[in-house]
Amino acid sequence: MSISSVKTGLIAAASLALAACGGTANVMVEQQFPNVVFEPRDIRAAIIFDDAFRTYKATPVEDVSIDIGTAQVDLWSKAFRGLFNEVTTHQDRTQVPEGTELVITPSVLEVQLSTPSDSYLNVYEVWIKFNLDIETADGEAIDSWFMPAYGKTPDSFMTSRTEAIEEAAIVALRDAGAKLILDFYRIPSVYSWMEQEQKL
Amino acid sequence: MKTQPTFLAIVSLYLGGCAATTTIDEFRPSTQPLDYGAEEKVVIIGRRDAGHYETDRDFVGCIGKEMRGAEISVLPEQEFIDKLYPWFEPRTAPKGLPRLKRLMEEPFIRDRVNTEDVRYVVWLDGTTETQGHMGSMSCTMGPTGGGCFGYSQWDKVVFIEAIIWDLADLTEKGRIRVDSEGTSYLIGVVAPIPLLSPVKSDACKGLGRQLKTFFAEESS
Repeated sequence: MSISSVKTGLIAAASLALAACGGTANVMVEQQFPNVVFEPRDIRAAIIFDDAFRTYKATPVEDVSIDIGTAQVDLWSKAFRGLFNEVTTHQDRTQVPEGTELVITPSVLEVQLSTPSDSYLNVYEVWIKFNLDIETADGEAIDSWFMPAYGKTPDSFMTSRTEAIEEAAIVALRDAGAKLILDFYRIPSVYSWMEQEQKL
Repeated sequence: MKTQPTFLAIVSLYLGGCAATTTIDEFRPSTQPLDYGAEEKVVIIGRRDAGHYETDRDFVGCIGKEMRGAEISVLPEQEFIDKLYPWFEPRTAPKGLPRLKRLMEEPFIRDRVNTEDVRYVVWLDGTTETQGHMGSMSCTMGPTGGGCFGYSQWDKVVFIEAIIWDLADLTEKGRIRVDSEGTSYLIGVVAPIPLLSPVKSDACKGLGRQLKTFFAEESS
């Protein structure tokens, strides 16, 4: 083997090693979430997943994009089916059927990412800030509920950057489902509405 | 011939230097094996609610494998967490018996636990730490070849506590604490030679063996 071919091989290996350490990460979160174990209340709810929500792709830092659109629609659909007896999902408010009592429009306000190079911890962390616009069928606002969710990887050892970010995003989405189930009926304005509608 | 004692000394150093010391402490109110029905299962779950560490998923899986010989069947951790979603997520998982009792008062949670035939939950809480890193090693590569030269050593410490909860009467049935530590070495003589201490596997085997005795008579 000639020296020049060895040099070429070394340069190629070094380039590969450097590319593996940095570069752009396009993360597609593909995950089916479990059904929720809860006792649904006797409420007919319509959930609006608009196009922006269905195809949501976050860019928390310049070289990282996280596509959580499909995964979050799956998660929220299942979580709301745990909360309410009757749930319909729509792309916009005009499709809401008659007899609906609550209309909820979830949206993503922001996604933040922390990597081991930012935090000097051996974990990747993802924060997703959701907002739920809760209205009556007549369009009267009940609340605009801010809901942060958090997820992290166990550790980043021997995990690729893309896999680690995806894993942290999945944990954050699961956390969002848990927070919804735990806290939705504790929102004071939702509680008052249920009291008024005799749904308690 | 002088090579034989030298060879034996190197082998002894290799085997002796990488050993791990494992201590197991156990608390249980009775030496009798725990009761369970033919269809009932145990689930082994890692604690994930601490901010600075998370119980190693591989370690939880390893304990599950060590439990395979036991008479009670083991439900995989993720399957149990999914079946009871969202009640065993880091945000919602019960940290103590009072919270577990409160959860089990909800008929939909109790029904699901009964449907899955889960009788015991074993919580694993702990982590692995690397301490006392010493020495240095440098690796170089050039057109004519390369190699690593130097010496490095570090200590690994594993501490894990297992707590057994009975979901039928909502009581604690025992605790096992495992501490395992050992020193690993990396010697660079052209090629790096790792001499790794098996702290994690020792802790897993020790804890798994001890846990099994809760569910069956110990065979000698």
